[in-house]
Amino acid sequence: MLGSKWPKIAPYVFISPFFVIFLVFGAFPIVFSGVVSLIDWKGVTMGEFVGLRNYLNLFRDSDFQRAVLNTLYLLVLSGPLTIGGGLVLAVLLNSQLLRLRGMFRTIFYLPMAVSLVVAGLAFSMLLNKPFGFVNDIILRQGLNLEPIDFLTNPLAAIPTLTLLILWRCIGNDLVIMLAGLQSISPELYEAARIDGASPFQTFVYVTLPLMVPIILFDAILSTVNTFNMFAEPYILFGTEGGVDQAGLTTGLLVYRTSFKYFKFGYGAAMAYLLGVVIFVLSLVQLRLGQRD
Amino acid sequence: MQRQFLVSRTLIHLIVGAGAALMLLPLYWMVVSAFKPLPEILTVPVTFIPYNPTLENFRGLLTETLFARGMLNSIIIAMANVVLQVFFCSLAGFAFAKYRFWGRDVLFMLVLGTVMIPQYVTLIPNFLLMGRIGWLDTWLPLIVPGIANAFGIFWMRQYIATVPDELLDAARIDGAGEFGTYWRIVIPVIKPALVTLALFVFSVSWNEFLLPLVYLRSKELYTVQLVMANIFRVQYKVNYHWAMASAILATLPMAVLFATLQKQFISGLTLGGLKG
Repeated sequence: MLGSKWPKIAPYVFISPFFVIFLVFGAFPIVFSGVVSLIDWKGVTMGEFVGLRNYLNLFRDSDFQRAVLNTLYLLVLSGPLTIGGGLVLAVLLNSQLLRLRGMFRTIFYLPMAVSLVVAGLAFSMLLNKPFGFVNDIILRQGLNLEPIDFLTNPLAAIPTLTLLILWRCIGNDLVIMLAGLQSISPELYEAARIDGASPFQTFVYVTLPLMVPIILFDAILSTVNTFNMFAEPYILFGTEGGVDQAGLTTGLLVYRTSFKYFKFGYGAAMAYLLGVVIFVLSLVQLRLGQRD
Repeated sequence: MQRQFLVSRTLIHLIVGAGAALMLLPLYWMVVSAFKPLPEILTVPVTFIPYNPTLENFRGLLTETLFARGMLNSIIIAMANVVLQVFFCSLAGFAFAKYRFWGRDVLFMLVLGTVMIPQYVTLIPNFLLMGRIGWLDTWLPLIVPGIANAFGIFWMRQYIATVPDELLDAARIDGAGEFGTYWRIVIPVIKPALVTLALFVFSVSWNEFLLPLVYLRSKELYTVQLVMANIFRVQYKVNYHWAMASAILATLPMAVLFATLQKQFISGLTLGGLKG
Protein backbone atom coordinates (compact mmCIF):
# COMPACT_ATOMS: atom_id res chain seq x y z
CA MET A 1 0.00 0.00 0.00
CA LEU A 2 2.76 2.37 1.05
CA GLY A 3 4.76 1.30 -1.99
CA SER A 4 2.56 3.10 -4.51
CA LYS A 5 2.19 6.22 -2.36
CA TRP A 6 5.84 6.48 -1.35
CA PRO A 7 6.98 8.75 -4.23
CA LYS A 8 4.32 11.28 -3.13
CA ILE A 9 5.21 11.11 0.55
CA ALA A 10 8.99 10.96 0.09
CA PRO A 11 9.63 14.74 -0.30
CA TYR A 12 7.71 15.45 2.91
CA VAL A 13 9.78 12.86 4.73
CA PHE A 14 12.99 14.32 3.28
CA ILE A 15 12.24 17.84 4.51
CA SER A 16 10.68 16.78 7.82
CA PRO A 17 13.92 16.71 9.90
CA PHE A 18 14.32 20.46 9.41
CA PHE A 19 10.79 21.21 10.52
CA VAL A 20 10.83 18.85 13.49
CA ILE A 21 14.10 20.32 14.80
CA PHE A 22 12.99 23.87 14.05
CA LEU A 23 9.67 23.43 15.84
CA VAL A 24 11.39 22.15 18.99
CA PHE A 25 14.46 24.43 19.11
CA GLY A 26 13.27 27.45 17.09
CA ALA A 27 9.53 28.06 16.95
CA PHE A 28 8.66 26.78 20.42
CA PRO A 29 11.44 28.81 22.13
CA ILE A 30 10.27 32.01 20.42
CA VAL A 31 6.80 31.62 21.86
CA PHE A 32 8.12 30.29 25.16
CA SER A 33 10.51 33.25 25.42
CA GLY A 34 7.52 35.59 25.36
CA VAL A 35 6.04 33.68 28.30
CA VAL A 36 9.38 33.60 30.15
CA SER A 37 9.70 37.37 29.83
CA LEU A 38 6.43 37.88 31.71
CA ILE A 39 7.58 35.90 34.72
CA ASP A 40 9.90 36.73 37.58
CA TRP A 41 12.15 33.65 37.49
CA LYS A 42 13.93 32.43 40.58
CA GLY A 43 16.85 30.56 39.07
CA VAL A 44 15.51 27.81 36.84
CA THR A 45 12.25 27.48 38.77
CA MET A 46 9.27 29.54 37.73
CA GLY A 47 8.40 32.50 39.90
CA GLU A 48 5.30 34.66 39.87
CA PHE A 49 3.64 36.19 36.85
CA VAL A 50 4.60 39.87 36.65
CA GLY A 51 3.05 40.96 33.37
CA LEU A 52 5.02 43.64 31.56
CA ARG A 53 7.04 44.65 34.62
CA ASN A 54 10.27 43.19 33.21
CA TYR A 55 9.87 45.34 30.10
CA LEU A 56 9.02 48.49 32.08
CA ASN A 57 12.04 47.96 34.33
CA LEU A 58 14.29 47.92 31.27
CA PHE A 59 13.59 51.57 30.63
CA ARG A 60 14.72 52.54 34.13
CA ASP A 61 17.76 50.23 34.10
CA SER A 62 20.95 52.29 33.78
CA ASP A 63 23.00 49.20 32.78
CA PHE A 64 20.62 48.54 29.91
CA GLN A 65 20.80 52.15 28.76
CA ARG A 66 24.58 52.03 29.02
CA ALA A 67 24.75 48.83 26.93
CA VAL A 68 22.43 50.21 24.25
CA LEU A 69 24.35 53.50 24.03
CA ASN A 70 27.70 51.67 23.90
CA THR A 71 26.42 49.41 21.16
CA LEU A 72 25.03 52.33 19.14
CA TYR A 73 28.34 54.18 19.57
CA LEU A 74 30.18 51.06 18.38
CA LEU A 75 27.84 50.77 15.41
CA VAL A 76 28.31 54.42 14.41
CA LEU A 77 32.07 54.09 14.68
CA SER A 78 32.67 50.64 13.18
CA GLY A 79 29.88 50.57 10.57
CA PRO A 80 31.17 53.34 8.27
CA LEU A 81 34.77 52.17 8.74
CA THR A 82 34.15 48.55 7.77
CA ILE A 83 31.64 49.32 5.02
CA GLY A 84 33.46 52.34 3.57
CA GLY A 85 36.83 50.69 4.06
CA GLY A 86 35.58 47.51 2.43
CA LEU A 87 34.26 49.42 -0.57
CA VAL A 88 37.40 51.52 -1.11
CA LEU A 89 39.56 48.45 -0.66
CA ALA A 90 37.45 46.49 -3.15
CA VAL A 91 37.83 49.25 -5.75
CA LEU A 92 41.60 49.38 -5.19
CA LEU A 93 41.94 45.59 -5.31
CA ASN A 94 39.95 45.55 -8.54
CA SER A 95 42.21 48.14 -10.18
CA GLN A 96 44.26 47.01 -13.17
CA LEU A 97 47.11 49.13 -11.82
CA LEU A 98 47.65 46.82 -8.87
CA ARG A 99 50.10 43.92 -9.08
CA LEU A 100 49.83 40.78 -6.92
CA ARG A 101 46.09 41.24 -6.54
CA GLY A 102 45.52 37.62 -5.52
CA MET A 103 48.10 37.84 -2.77
CA PHE A 104 46.69 41.07 -1.35
CA ARG A 105 43.17 39.68 -1.42
CA THR A 106 44.29 36.60 0.52
CA ILE A 107 45.99 38.79 3.13
CA PHE A 108 42.79 40.76 3.73
CA TYR A 109 40.77 37.54 3.99
CA LEU A 110 43.26 35.95 6.38
CA PRO A 111 41.85 37.24 9.71
CA MET A 112 38.51 35.58 8.90
CA ALA A 113 40.19 32.19 9.29
CA VAL A 114 40.96 33.15 12.89
CA SER A 115 38.30 32.56 15.56
CA LEU A 116 36.84 35.50 17.50
CA VAL A 117 38.48 34.24 20.67
CA VAL A 118 41.89 34.10 18.97
CA ALA A 119 41.34 37.60 17.54
CA GLY A 120 40.50 38.86 21.03
CA LEU A 121 43.62 37.25 22.49
CA ALA A 122 45.84 38.66 19.73
CA PHE A 123 44.51 42.18 20.29
CA SER A 124 44.83 42.10 24.06
CA MET A 125 48.51 41.26 23.46
CA LEU A 126 49.07 43.77 20.70
CA LEU A 127 47.40 46.67 22.53
CA ASN A 128 48.61 45.87 26.02
CA LYS A 129 50.04 48.58 28.22
CA PRO A 130 52.98 48.68 28.62
CA PHE A 131 54.37 45.63 26.78
CA GLY A 132 52.17 45.56 23.66
CA PHE A 133 53.57 46.22 20.23
CA VAL A 134 51.58 49.41 19.61
CA ASN A 135 52.51 51.11 22.88
CA ASP A 136 56.13 50.19 22.32
CA ILE A 137 56.05 52.04 19.00
CA ILE A 138 54.40 55.03 20.68
CA LEU A 139 57.11 55.12 23.36
CA ARG A 140 59.91 54.84 20.81
CA GLN A 141 58.64 57.87 18.90
CA GLY A 142 60.79 60.14 21.01
CA LEU A 143 57.92 62.62 21.04
CA ASN A 144 57.22 62.12 24.75
CA LEU A 145 53.83 60.59 23.96
CA GLU A 146 52.00 58.80 26.75
CA PRO A 147 51.27 55.09 26.21
CA ILE A 148 47.61 54.48 25.40
CA ASP A 149 45.56 52.43 27.81
CA PHE A 150 43.52 50.63 25.16
CA LEU A 151 42.05 47.99 27.44
CA THR A 152 41.30 49.71 30.75
CA ASN A 153 40.69 53.35 29.94
CA PRO A 154 36.89 53.76 29.64
CA LEU A 155 37.28 56.25 26.80
CA ALA A 156 39.27 53.76 24.74
CA ALA A 157 36.97 50.73 25.13
CA ILE A 158 34.71 51.20 22.12
CA PRO A 159 37.48 52.46 19.78
CA THR A 160 39.55 49.39 20.76
CA LEU A 161 36.60 47.13 19.98
CA THR A 162 36.27 48.96 16.65
CA LEU A 163 39.90 48.22 15.78
CA LEU A 164 39.35 44.54 16.49
CA ILE A 165 36.17 44.40 14.38
CA LEU A 166 37.82 46.31 11.56
CA TRP A 167 40.68 43.83 11.48
CA ARG A 168 38.61 40.66 11.83
CA CYS A 169 35.65 41.58 9.62
CA ILE A 170 36.85 43.80 6.79
CA GLY A 171 37.52 40.67 4.72
CA ASN A 172 33.83 39.86 4.91
CA ASP A 173 32.86 43.36 3.70
CA LEU A 174 35.47 43.01 0.99
CA VAL A 175 33.93 39.74 -0.27
CA ILE A 176 30.50 41.38 -0.44
CA MET A 177 31.80 44.55 -2.16
CA LEU A 178 33.89 42.62 -4.70
CA ALA A 179 30.83 40.55 -5.59
CA GLY A 180 28.89 43.80 -6.03
CA LEU A 181 31.56 45.42 -8.21
CA GLN A 182 31.55 42.42 -10.52
CA SER A 183 27.91 43.04 -11.33
CA ILE A 184 28.65 46.57 -12.70
CA SER A 185 28.89 46.53 -16.48
CA PRO A 186 32.41 47.36 -17.83
CA GLU A 187 30.79 49.50 -20.59
CA LEU A 188 29.83 52.11 -17.99
CA TYR A 189 33.46 52.52 -16.99
CA GLU A 190 34.45 52.65 -20.64
CA ALA A 191 31.90 55.42 -21.23
CA ALA A 192 33.16 57.37 -18.20
CA ARG A 193 36.72 57.04 -19.48
CA ILE A 194 35.78 58.32 -22.94
CA ASP A 195 34.00 61.28 -21.31
CA GLY A 196 37.29 62.08 -19.60
CA ALA A 197 36.18 61.37 -16.02
CA SER A 198 38.94 61.14 -13.40
CA PRO A 199 39.17 57.96 -11.29
CA PHE A 200 37.64 59.87 -8.38
CA GLN A 201 34.74 61.15 -10.51
CA THR A 202 34.19 57.65 -11.85
CA PHE A 203 33.99 56.35 -8.30
CA VAL A 204 31.52 59.02 -7.15
CA TYR A 205 29.26 59.11 -10.20
CA VAL A 206 29.40 55.54 -11.52
CA THR A 207 30.47 53.09 -8.83
CA LEU A 208 28.84 54.61 -5.75
CA PRO A 209 25.25 54.98 -7.06
CA LEU A 210 25.26 51.44 -8.44
CA MET A 211 26.60 50.04 -5.18
CA VAL A 212 23.86 51.56 -2.97
CA PRO A 213 21.85 48.30 -2.64
CA ILE A 214 25.00 46.37 -1.71
CA ILE A 215 26.06 49.02 0.79
CA LEU A 216 22.63 48.90 2.43
CA PHE A 217 22.72 45.12 2.58
CA ASP A 218 26.11 45.34 4.26
CA ALA A 219 24.83 48.00 6.66
CA ILE A 220 21.97 45.75 7.78
CA LEU A 221 24.40 42.90 8.27
CA SER A 222 26.70 45.12 10.36
CA THR A 223 23.81 46.36 12.49
CA VAL A 224 22.57 42.84 13.26
CA ASN A 225 26.09 41.58 13.93
CA THR A 226 26.91 44.49 16.25
CA PHE A 227 23.81 43.97 18.38
CA ASN A 228 24.52 40.22 18.51
CA MET A 229 28.22 40.61 19.24
CA PHE A 230 29.46 38.68 22.23
CA ALA A 231 32.86 36.96 22.06
CA GLU A 232 34.88 40.10 21.22
CA PRO A 233 33.90 42.27 24.22
CA TYR A 234 33.86 39.19 26.46
CA ILE A 235 37.51 38.40 25.73
CA LEU A 236 38.73 42.02 25.74
CA PHE A 237 36.81 43.32 28.75
CA GLY A 238 35.28 40.35 30.62
CA THR A 239 31.64 39.72 31.59
CA GLU A 240 31.22 43.08 33.33
CA GLY A 241 32.32 45.04 30.27
CA GLY A 242 35.55 46.36 31.76
CA VAL A 243 36.26 49.52 33.77
CA ASP A 244 33.14 51.65 34.23
CA GLN A 245 31.27 49.16 31.97
CA ALA A 246 32.70 51.08 29.03
CA GLY A 247 32.86 47.92 26.92
CA LEU A 248 29.42 46.60 27.94
CA THR A 249 27.46 45.76 24.79
CA THR A 250 23.91 44.46 24.50
CA GLY A 251 25.09 40.91 23.77
CA LEU A 252 27.25 40.91 26.88
CA LEU A 253 24.41 42.28 29.03
CA VAL A 254 21.90 39.64 27.88
CA TYR A 255 24.46 36.95 28.70
CA ARG A 256 25.36 38.45 32.08
CA THR A 257 21.75 38.98 33.15
CA SER A 258 20.66 35.47 32.20
CA PHE A 259 23.62 33.20 32.78
CA LYS A 260 25.56 34.93 35.52
CA TYR A 261 22.74 36.43 37.61
CA PHE A 262 20.17 33.86 36.39
CA LYS A 263 17.47 36.49 35.90
CA PHE A 264 15.92 34.57 33.01
CA GLY A 265 12.69 36.55 32.82
CA TYR A 266 14.49 39.87 32.72
CA GLY A 267 17.06 38.52 30.24
CA ALA A 268 14.32 37.19 27.98
CA ALA A 269 12.53 40.56 28.03
CA MET A 270 15.81 42.23 27.10
CA ALA A 271 16.45 39.78 24.25
CA TYR A 272 12.90 40.20 22.96
CA LEU A 273 13.10 43.99 22.96
CA LEU A 274 16.51 43.92 21.25
CA GLY A 275 15.19 41.43 18.70
CA VAL A 276 12.42 43.90 17.83
CA VAL A 277 14.91 46.81 17.67
CA ILE A 278 17.18 44.86 15.30
CA PHE A 279 14.22 43.92 13.14
CA VAL A 280 12.94 47.52 12.95
CA LEU A 281 16.41 48.91 12.21
CA SER A 282 16.77 46.42 9.36
CA LEU A 283 13.38 47.44 7.96
CA VAL A 284 14.24 51.16 8.17
CA GLN A 285 17.50 50.58 6.30
CA LEU A 286 15.65 48.59 3.65
CA ARG A 287 13.07 51.39 3.26
CA LEU A 288 15.77 54.04 2.89
CA GLY A 289 17.30 51.96 0.15
CA GLN A 290 14.06 51.62 -1.79
CA ARG A 291 13.42 55.35 -1.89
CA ASP A 292 15.86 55.85 -4.79
CA MET B 1 49.98 61.17 -18.89
CA GLN B 2 52.66 58.55 -18.46
CA ARG B 3 53.86 60.28 -15.33
CA GLN B 4 50.38 60.53 -13.83
CA PHE B 5 49.94 56.83 -14.48
CA LEU B 6 53.13 56.09 -12.58
CA VAL B 7 52.08 58.25 -9.65
CA SER B 8 48.68 56.58 -9.25
CA ARG B 9 50.25 53.19 -9.66
CA THR B 10 52.73 53.89 -6.83
CA LEU B 11 49.99 55.40 -4.67
CA ILE B 12 47.74 52.35 -4.99
CA HIS B 13 50.58 50.02 -4.06
CA LEU B 14 51.46 52.18 -1.05
CA ILE B 15 47.88 52.27 0.27
CA VAL B 16 47.10 48.60 -0.29
CA GLY B 17 50.55 47.57 0.93
CA ALA B 18 50.18 49.56 4.16
CA GLY B 19 46.73 48.06 4.71
CA ALA B 20 48.07 44.55 4.14
CA ALA B 21 50.92 45.18 6.59
CA LEU B 22 48.39 46.26 9.25
CA MET B 23 46.36 43.10 8.60
CA LEU B 24 49.41 40.91 9.10
CA LEU B 25 50.67 42.72 12.21
CA PRO B 26 48.42 41.02 14.81
CA LEU B 27 49.15 37.61 13.26
CA TYR B 28 52.88 38.34 13.26
CA TRP B 29 52.77 39.45 16.88
CA MET B 30 50.83 36.32 17.84
CA VAL B 31 53.32 34.00 16.18
CA VAL B 32 56.38 35.81 17.55
CA SER B 33 54.99 35.92 21.09
CA ALA B 34 54.21 32.20 21.05
CA PHE B 35 57.94 31.48 20.77
CA LYS B 36 59.02 33.86 23.55
CA PRO B 37 59.41 32.80 27.19
CA LEU B 38 56.88 34.58 29.43
CA PRO B 39 59.45 36.97 31.01
CA GLU B 40 60.47 38.14 27.55
CA ILE B 41 56.82 38.75 26.58
CA LEU B 42 56.45 40.96 29.66
CA THR B 43 59.60 42.97 28.92
CA VAL B 44 59.74 46.58 27.73
CA PRO B 45 61.08 47.58 25.24
CA VAL B 46 59.63 44.68 23.26
CA THR B 47 61.64 42.36 21.03
CA PHE B 48 60.44 42.10 17.44
CA ILE B 49 62.20 38.79 16.94
CA PRO B 50 62.35 36.36 19.89
CA TYR B 51 65.60 36.91 21.76
CA ASN B 52 65.37 33.46 23.32
CA PRO B 53 63.17 31.43 20.94
CA THR B 54 61.63 28.45 22.72
CA LEU B 55 59.09 25.66 22.22
CA GLU B 56 58.47 25.55 25.95
CA ASN B 57 55.12 27.39 25.60
CA PHE B 58 53.76 24.63 23.35
CA ARG B 59 55.07 21.91 25.64
CA GLY B 60 53.53 23.55 28.70
CA LEU B 61 50.27 24.15 26.87
CA LEU B 62 49.93 20.51 25.85
CA THR B 63 51.00 18.98 29.17
CA GLU B 64 49.77 21.41 31.83
CA THR B 65 46.42 22.51 30.41
CA LEU B 66 43.31 20.87 28.94
CA PHE B 67 44.12 22.33 25.52
CA ALA B 68 44.71 18.99 23.72
CA ARG B 69 41.45 17.69 25.14
CA GLY B 70 39.67 20.82 23.93
CA MET B 71 41.05 20.36 20.42
CA LEU B 72 39.82 16.76 20.36
CA ASN B 73 36.40 17.75 21.71
CA SER B 74 36.05 20.49 19.09
CA ILE B 75 37.01 18.11 16.29
CA ILE B 76 34.43 15.55 17.41
CA ILE B 77 31.69 18.17 17.72
CA ALA B 78 32.56 19.77 14.38
CA MET B 79 32.62 16.41 12.59
CA ALA B 80 29.22 15.48 14.05
CA ASN B 81 27.85 18.81 12.86
CA VAL B 82 29.33 18.33 9.40
CA VAL B 83 27.97 14.81 8.90
CA LEU B 84 24.46 15.57 10.19
CA GLN B 85 24.03 18.94 8.50
CA VAL B 86 25.47 17.91 5.14
CA PHE B 87 23.24 14.82 5.09
CA PHE B 88 19.97 16.46 6.16
CA CYS B 89 20.51 19.68 4.16
CA SER B 90 21.26 17.84 0.92
CA LEU B 91 18.29 15.50 1.48
CA ALA B 92 15.93 18.44 2.02
CA GLY B 93 17.57 20.40 -0.78
CA PHE B 94 16.96 17.43 -3.08
CA ALA B 95 13.28 17.36 -2.16
CA PHE B 96 12.85 21.12 -2.71
CA ALA B 97 14.77 21.06 -6.01
CA LYS B 98 13.47 17.91 -7.69
CA TYR B 99 9.95 17.17 -6.41
CA ARG B 100 6.65 18.88 -7.05
CA PHE B 101 4.52 18.62 -3.96
CA TRP B 102 1.68 20.50 -2.37
CA GLY B 103 2.89 23.46 -0.28
CA ARG B 104 6.44 23.27 -1.55
CA ASP B 105 7.02 26.97 -2.21
CA VAL B 106 5.40 28.11 1.03
CA LEU B 107 7.45 25.60 3.01
CA PHE B 108 10.63 26.75 1.29
CA MET B 109 9.88 30.40 2.12
CA LEU B 110 9.30 29.30 5.71
CA VAL B 111 12.72 27.66 5.76
CA LEU B 112 14.37 30.84 4.46
CA GLY B 113 12.43 33.02 6.90
CA THR B 114 13.94 31.22 9.89
CA VAL B 115 17.37 32.80 9.27
CA MET B 116 15.96 36.16 10.39
CA ILE B 117 15.49 35.01 13.99
CA PRO B 118 18.20 36.50 16.24
CA GLN B 119 20.08 33.97 18.32
CA TYR B 120 19.41 35.82 21.58
CA VAL B 121 15.66 35.41 21.35
CA THR B 122 15.94 31.61 21.43
CA LEU B 123 18.96 31.31 23.73
CA ILE B 124 17.23 31.63 27.13
CA PRO B 125 14.16 29.44 26.43
CA ASN B 126 16.46 26.85 24.83
CA PHE B 127 18.63 26.83 27.95
CA LEU B 128 15.57 26.17 30.12
CA LEU B 129 14.39 23.51 27.66
CA MET B 130 17.78 21.77 27.63
CA GLY B 131 17.72 21.77 31.43
CA ARG B 132 14.30 20.13 31.42
CA ILE B 133 15.32 17.33 29.04
CA GLY B 134 18.67 16.77 30.77
CA TRP B 135 20.92 18.02 27.99
CA LEU B 136 22.83 20.60 30.05
CA ASP B 137 26.54 19.88 30.27
CA THR B 138 26.41 17.60 27.21
CA TRP B 139 27.36 18.25 23.59
CA LEU B 140 23.81 17.65 22.34
CA PRO B 141 22.77 21.37 22.44
CA LEU B 142 25.82 22.13 20.28
CA ILE B 143 24.86 19.50 17.70
CA VAL B 144 21.14 18.72 17.49
CA PRO B 145 19.57 22.20 16.95
CA GLY B 146 22.10 22.85 14.18
CA ILE B 147 20.40 20.23 12.00
CA ALA B 148 17.79 22.88 11.14
CA ASN B 149 20.25 24.76 8.91
CA ALA B 150 18.23 26.94 6.53
CA PHE B 151 21.26 28.31 4.72
CA GLY B 152 22.48 24.75 4.06
CA ILE B 153 19.14 23.75 2.55
CA PHE B 154 19.10 26.87 0.37
CA TRP B 155 22.65 26.21 -0.77
CA MET B 156 22.01 22.55 -1.60
CA ARG B 157 18.74 23.30 -3.40
CA GLN B 158 20.48 25.82 -5.67
CA TYR B 159 23.10 23.27 -6.60
CA ILE B 160 20.87 20.21 -6.97
CA ALA B 161 18.55 22.20 -9.27
CA THR B 162 21.35 22.12 -11.87
CA VAL B 163 21.43 18.29 -11.91
CA PRO B 164 19.70 17.14 -15.16
CA ASP B 165 16.30 15.48 -14.63
CA GLU B 166 17.17 12.82 -17.24
CA LEU B 167 19.80 11.46 -14.88
CA LEU B 168 17.21 10.98 -12.14
CA ASP B 169 14.60 9.52 -14.54
CA ALA B 170 17.15 7.03 -15.84
CA ALA B 171 17.91 5.93 -12.29
CA ARG B 172 14.20 5.47 -11.53
CA ILE B 173 13.68 3.39 -14.68
CA ASP B 174 16.55 1.21 -13.51
CA GLY B 175 14.56 0.59 -10.37
CA ALA B 176 16.26 2.90 -7.89
CA GLY B 177 13.86 4.05 -5.15
CA GLU B 178 13.41 7.64 -3.99
CA PHE B 179 16.14 7.45 -1.39
CA GLY B 180 18.30 5.33 -3.67
CA THR B 181 18.13 8.01 -6.37
CA TYR B 182 19.32 10.59 -3.83
CA TRP B 183 22.01 8.39 -2.33
CA ARG B 184 23.50 6.79 -5.46
CA ILE B 185 22.86 9.41 -8.17
CA VAL B 186 22.51 12.87 -6.61
CA ILE B 187 25.18 12.63 -3.90
CA PRO B 188 28.04 11.67 -6.26
CA VAL B 189 27.34 14.52 -8.71
CA ILE B 190 27.03 17.28 -6.10
CA LYS B 191 30.31 16.54 -4.32
CA PRO B 192 31.78 20.06 -4.80
CA ALA B 193 28.74 21.65 -3.16
CA LEU B 194 28.89 19.11 -0.33
CA VAL B 195 32.55 19.98 0.29
CA THR B 196 31.76 23.70 0.45
CA LEU B 197 28.92 23.18 2.89
CA ALA B 198 31.05 20.83 4.98
CA LEU B 199 33.78 23.47 5.18
CA PHE B 200 31.30 26.14 6.12
CA VAL B 201 29.65 24.03 8.83
CA PHE B 202 33.05 23.02 10.20
CA SER B 203 34.24 26.62 10.53
CA VAL B 204 31.03 27.80 12.21
CA SER B 205 31.14 24.92 14.67
CA TRP B 206 34.88 25.34 15.31
CA ASN B 207 34.57 29.07 16.06
CA GLU B 208 31.34 28.97 18.10
CA PHE B 209 31.85 30.48 21.55
CA LEU B 210 28.59 31.57 23.17
CA LEU B 211 26.78 28.20 23.00
CA PRO B 212 29.51 26.07 24.60
CA LEU B 213 30.00 28.81 27.21
CA VAL B 214 26.33 28.64 28.14
CA TYR B 215 25.82 24.88 27.99
CA LEU B 216 29.05 23.27 29.20
CA ARG B 217 30.10 23.11 32.85
CA SER B 218 32.58 20.19 33.04
CA LYS B 219 36.05 21.24 31.98
CA GLU B 220 36.67 17.89 30.24
CA LEU B 221 33.83 18.68 27.83
CA TYR B 222 35.07 22.19 26.92
CA THR B 223 35.60 23.11 23.28
CA VAL B 224 38.93 24.53 22.20
CA GLN B 225 37.57 28.11 22.17
CA LEU B 226 36.41 27.79 25.78
CA VAL B 227 39.70 26.26 26.88
CA MET B 228 41.55 29.15 25.24
CA ALA B 229 39.42 31.82 26.89
CA ASN B 230 39.99 30.06 30.22
CA ILE B 231 43.74 29.74 29.78
CA PHE B 232 43.91 33.44 29.01
CA ARG B 233 42.27 34.56 32.23
CA VAL B 234 42.98 32.22 35.08
CA GLN B 235 41.99 34.32 38.06
CA TYR B 236 44.27 37.33 38.43
CA LYS B 237 46.94 35.70 36.29
CA VAL B 238 47.20 36.23 32.58
CA ASN B 239 48.94 33.43 30.72
CA TYR B 240 50.04 35.27 27.61
CA HIS B 241 52.61 32.66 26.62
CA TRP B 242 50.12 29.77 26.61
CA ALA B 243 47.37 31.91 25.14
CA MET B 244 49.47 32.80 22.10
CA ALA B 245 50.65 29.21 21.60
CA SER B 246 47.06 27.98 21.85
CA ALA B 247 45.90 30.66 19.40
CA ILE B 248 48.29 29.30 16.79
CA LEU B 249 47.43 25.63 17.31
CA ALA B 250 43.68 26.35 17.36
CA THR B 251 43.90 28.26 14.10
CA LEU B 252 45.86 25.52 12.36
CA PRO B 253 42.92 23.29 11.33
CA MET B 254 41.05 26.30 9.90
CA ALA B 255 44.17 27.64 8.18
CA VAL B 256 44.84 24.30 6.48
CA LEU B 257 41.23 23.97 5.27
CA PHE B 258 41.16 27.62 4.24
CA ALA B 259 44.41 27.37 2.27
CA THR B 260 43.45 24.22 0.38
CA LEU B 261 39.89 25.22 -0.41
CA GLN B 262 40.03 29.03 -0.48
CA LYS B 263 37.95 29.48 -3.64
CA GLN B 264 35.02 27.42 -2.39
CA PHE B 265 35.25 29.02 1.03
CA ILE B 266 34.96 32.56 -0.34
CA SER B 267 31.99 31.78 -2.58
CA GLY B 268 30.40 30.07 0.40
CA LEU B 269 31.04 33.15 2.53
CA THR B 270 29.43 35.44 -0.02
CA LEU B 271 26.29 33.35 0.10
CA GLY B 272 26.64 33.02 3.85
CA GLY B 273 26.70 36.80 4.04
CA LEU B 274 23.58 36.96 1.94
CA LYS B 275 21.71 34.90 4.50
CA GLY B 276 21.63 38.00 6.73
